[in-house]
Amino acid sequence: MTGPSRTGYDVATGTFDEARAMVGHRTDPRTGSVVVNEAMVQQFAALAHDASAGYWDPEFAAEWWGGTVAPPAMLMTWLMPLEWTPRGGLPTPLLTARVPLPGDTFINASNDTEYFEPVRVGDRLSVEEELIDVSEQKRTALGVGHFVTTKSTYRRQDETVVAEMTNVLFRFSTGDGG
Amino acid sequence: MIPGVNYDQRAFEDVRVDEALPGARDEITYRRVIMNPAATLDFYPGHHDPEFARAQGQPTIFVNTMHVMGFIDRLVFEWGGPRTFLVRRKVSLAYPVYAGDTMVGAGRVLDTRLEERQGRRRGVVDLEVTVDNQDGVRCASGHVTASLPLGGAADGDRPWWPRKGS
Repeated sequence: MTGPSRTGYDVATGTFDEARAMVGHRTDPRTGSVVVNEAMVQQFAALAHDASAGYWDPEFAAEWWGGTVAPPAMLMTWLMPLEWTPRGGLPTPLLTARVPLPGDTFINASNDTEYFEPVRVGDRLSVEEELIDVSEQKRTALGVGHFVTTKSTYRRQDETVVAEMTNVLFRFSTGDGG
Repeated sequence: MIPGVNYDQRAFEDVRVDEALPGARDEITYRRVIMNPAATLDFYPGHHDPEFARAQGQPTIFVNTMHVMGFIDRLVFEWGGPRTFLVRRKVSLAYPVYAGDTMVGAGRVLDTRLEERQGRRRGVVDLEVTVDNQDGVRCASGHVTASLPLGGAADGDRPWWPRKGS
């Protein structure tokens, strides 16, 4: 489905050849809408039931981490586009959703993230994404589709690379699983 | 010290190969699945709209990757302690965790080693981790590399390093 977005999470459609032609494409750096903040750090720690002192005790966090630290699993959160802004327009989708393929939906298959520096309250991250690979057509229990591999480089406001993430997402069509 | 908060730190030297992590169980109610987009800003409808999920061939809404990874990281931090730095996490997602499921997490130490770079040292531990549901279906599995502080570490021996080559 293309055109006006019903959900903000619709994906670009196209052929496998169009997708293959996009391999190697790198996005311009995109800066997160959200500054790393204690409220969201604690909301996530509450979701994960994680009692680590770096999230809950600012004194401990300042001493060991140099500030309240963000849970590593939240990395993608700091780059999530806001649903609505006064400027109008639709949120910029992630690169994986912009790859033109026949599949109308997706599910995440694997994630490999390497961390180099802690992310702390007050940081604002940016990301550059690169399309690494689009697989041949595969059949899985969910349906027929393609595995899309992207690599994302996350930087802090001072340009220090804080993490690199390789993600594999399965783009498929609903209703033809087998 | 804040009551209930985890300050318990394991030193790198105390880690044994083959040691099992304590593991954890986590009941994923509808409420918990909906907390997930609120906490991660991931508003993909499969994580909050059961009708949408069913149209996609799923029985109902399911947790997102960040939630599964957060659960894995919690297993590591509960065992290692709050000074543990997560160096790398590789996760394969094999089966969704749906509202109504329980995540059952387990882990084991595969290897320990001392790393040195530019005169700095850190103790590194390789772990294998698994997340099953209440029926024993493997939902996620992976490897985590974490750095734990060395006993009597100098201030320069913080467990995080800049990226190679930067």
